[in-house]
Amino acid sequence: MRRIVTTIVLLLAVGAGLPGAAVEGADKVRVVTTIPDLKSLTEAVGGDLVDVESLMRGTQNLHEAEVRPSMMLKLRRAQLLVENGAELDAWVDVAVQGANNGEIVRGGRGRVEAGRGVPLLEVPSARVDRSMGDVHPGGNPHFSLDPGLAPIITQNILDGLARVAPQHRAAFERNRAAFLSRLDEHMGRWTKLMEPVRGAKVVVYHPDFIYFLTRFGLVQLGTVEDRPGIPPSPQHLVTLIRQMKEQGVKALLVEPWNDVRLANRVAEEAGAKAYVMASAVGAVKGADNYIAAIDYNVTTLVKALAR
Amino acid sequence: MRGFVIAAVWLTIVLVPGLAAAQEAEALRRELEQLRRQQEQAQKLIEALNERLKRLEAQPVPAPASPGPPPPAVAQPAPSAPAAPPSLIDLARPRQPFALYQPRGSGQLLFDMGVVGDFVGNITQNNVDQADGGTFPGRENRFFPREIEVSFFGQIDPYARGEVRIEAAEEFEDGTREIHLGLAEAHLTLLTLPWGTQAKLGFMRSRFGLLNQIHAHDLPQVDRPDVLVQFFGEEGLRESGVELTWVPPLPFYLEALVGVFNGDNEESFGRGSLKAPLVTGRLRTFFELNDSNAIQLGVSGATGETEDRRRNTVVGLDLKYKFTPEGWRHPLLTIAGEALYGNRLVEVFDDAGVGEERRRERFGWYAYAEVQPWQRWLGGVRYDNTQYPVEPGRQWAIEPYIAFMPSEFLRFRLGYKHTERSHPFAATSGQGSARIVDEFLFQASFILGAHPAHPF
Repeated sequence: MRRIVTTIVLLLAVGAGLPGAAVEGADKVRVVTTIPDLKSLTEAVGGDLVDVESLMRGTQNLHEAEVRPSMMLKLRRAQLLVENGAELDAWVDVAVQGANNGEIVRGGRGRVEAGRGVPLLEVPSARVDRSMGDVHPGGNPHFSLDPGLAPIITQNILDGLARVAPQHRAAFERNRAAFLSRLDEHMGRWTKLMEPVRGAKVVVYHPDFIYFLTRFGLVQLGTVEDRPGIPPSPQHLVTLIRQMKEQGVKALLVEPWNDVRLANRVAEEAGAKAYVMASAVGAVKGADNYIAAIDYNVTTLVKALAR
Repeated sequence: MRGFVIAAVWLTIVLVPGLAAAQEAEALRRELEQLRRQQEQAQKLIEALNERLKRLEAQPVPAPASPGPPPPAVAQPAPSAPAAPPSLIDLARPRQPFALYQPRGSGQLLFDMGVVGDFVGNITQNNVDQADGGTFPGRENRFFPREIEVSFFGQIDPYARGEVRIEAAEEFEDGTREIHLGLAEAHLTLLTLPWGTQAKLGFMRSRFGLLNQIHAHDLPQVDRPDVLVQFFGEEGLRESGVELTWVPPLPFYLEALVGVFNGDNEESFGRGSLKAPLVTGRLRTFFELNDSNAIQLGVSGATGETEDRRRNTVVGLDLKYKFTPEGWRHPLLTIAGEALYGNRLVEVFDDAGVGEERRRERFGWYAYAEVQPWQRWLGGVRYDNTQYPVEPGRQWAIEPYIAFMPSEFLRFRLGYKHTERSHPFAATSGQGSARIVDEFLFQASFILGAHPAHPF
């Protein structure tokens, strides 16, 4: 018992004496992002100069997070926290509170809201309340996988990185420009691929893809969820299936964390097919980074709609 | 002299209009120059607005039903200056922290508000009702508001966060039931202290163990575990003072906490003075075995004086394990428990009425397992076993329960609790006996407005 206590005390003493960087054993800027899309974009801007971790995985529902102490451990060591904003990841405040890191509290130098300056879609034009489900009063927060918004998001990330590591600003700017140039090349190819299916109607399980669909000229006919975050009623599903049949919808897009079985059943009833999409980086196999995730979604949609 | 005057008059007549004309021409030139500058500025403004319009047009069209032409893949970044830290002048400037936040649009408050309604009920035997010996003493065979709570929380400024909770509840005191309105919590947390520290000051639920800090509506079962009620009372350890936490920069998570309070707990630490304060401590660690399995361990301690100025020390151990399959939105299995050991001095009187100080060592624990196979439904069972902190004897209980959650903000629970006590008198304040208690417990709770995310 005495030995255990001595060990704990020694560990604490050593830990207290070491700065965070020494524990990490690296000289990189330590960044934590709330969602994996932002991790990928931060890596693109930061390059070799950053060490990035994401609190959530792509296979998880990004709205709902169980705030684990392991998140607090990551945040304790972070120099920069990149959050999505628009209430998608408001849960991070609870984790930040438990991390005891004054740099990344709201308003702190090391806090970045990636969505700052992003023109949000689906901003309610009338009074909203919870009878409408889990609505976001500020607008739809799932903008991160819209390649057209990457310049704004990466600019916000760059500003944050330059605040904590101003000596590397030039390198961050070079990395960002190179990334956007690469993205631009892909965008040309994606636009060409999507041109034949432009104007096609799709149904989504949860309104995760509205920015992506809008970018490429597709139309979201409806959602499987009756209201955001609320499981659908049978009546709603019957109406949706009828609409899908009438409008000749071929594809129902679903997130890996949602009820894929129900999506399959609805699609089958409507003569369509359900496709598990990369709702975030890492959500499906092959969507390991930002460009790969968009590439996966474009390819999947083109195949689905060309059937 | 006359000639001189005539010459002067002539000069005045000839030169003054000339000078006036020259001044007018100069004024006109200045005016023209000013107009030219204004025109240049207007041109620059038009150019800037054109540039901005181009940028805005390059971004997505906010009308998903009628998609427009494809915007360029790489739009120009919107100008976004990072928020500069406030200067001393900014901080000194008078502000209205509780006014509506105008710069982001009207209707936005500078803090969050939430309302919680928690109603519980129970049905039990008549003898338990007469003895006031149920889980909710004095409110047997009733459905009542246990906690109607209004909470305000948010950032006070860049350095601190505040939280105020006011609650109303039906309480039973001195043989009468009444709705009592009072302060549930009010505290501020200093967020930007150095070396990984944080301080919480005010009136708060002490972070002792696993469930003491949890509000009644957020408990995993309808009622608070018996051992916590026996050791700290129905309200738990709720104190005025300060808690300091430290998260050292270790490769694993460890939170160390020390608290200093008045000691206002009626069951265990009622001295109520900082001259003999209640001192609490807690160490909490966490292991993420993999993405699906995680375990939290904690050890807590509290030492202070009782109302009759006798030392009391309580030590607790707690554990919580969760299994969340990959891609699930909720845990499939949760196992948790807490054990408390109490060591206190009490005064015991013999038959002659002579008092003697004795040491009481008491122990109690609870454990529960909960399975949630569907998002809306869960079921579980809790086992309680505790000695009484002062009196001799013990009690145990078993409580199976189910819960239905139509949404994140609405929950219904139904449980059955069987309790056996070693002595009937332990919980009786009225007539009758309550050695064996069987109760059906039910609960309905809702959340209006904001509610912080749930920790592990």
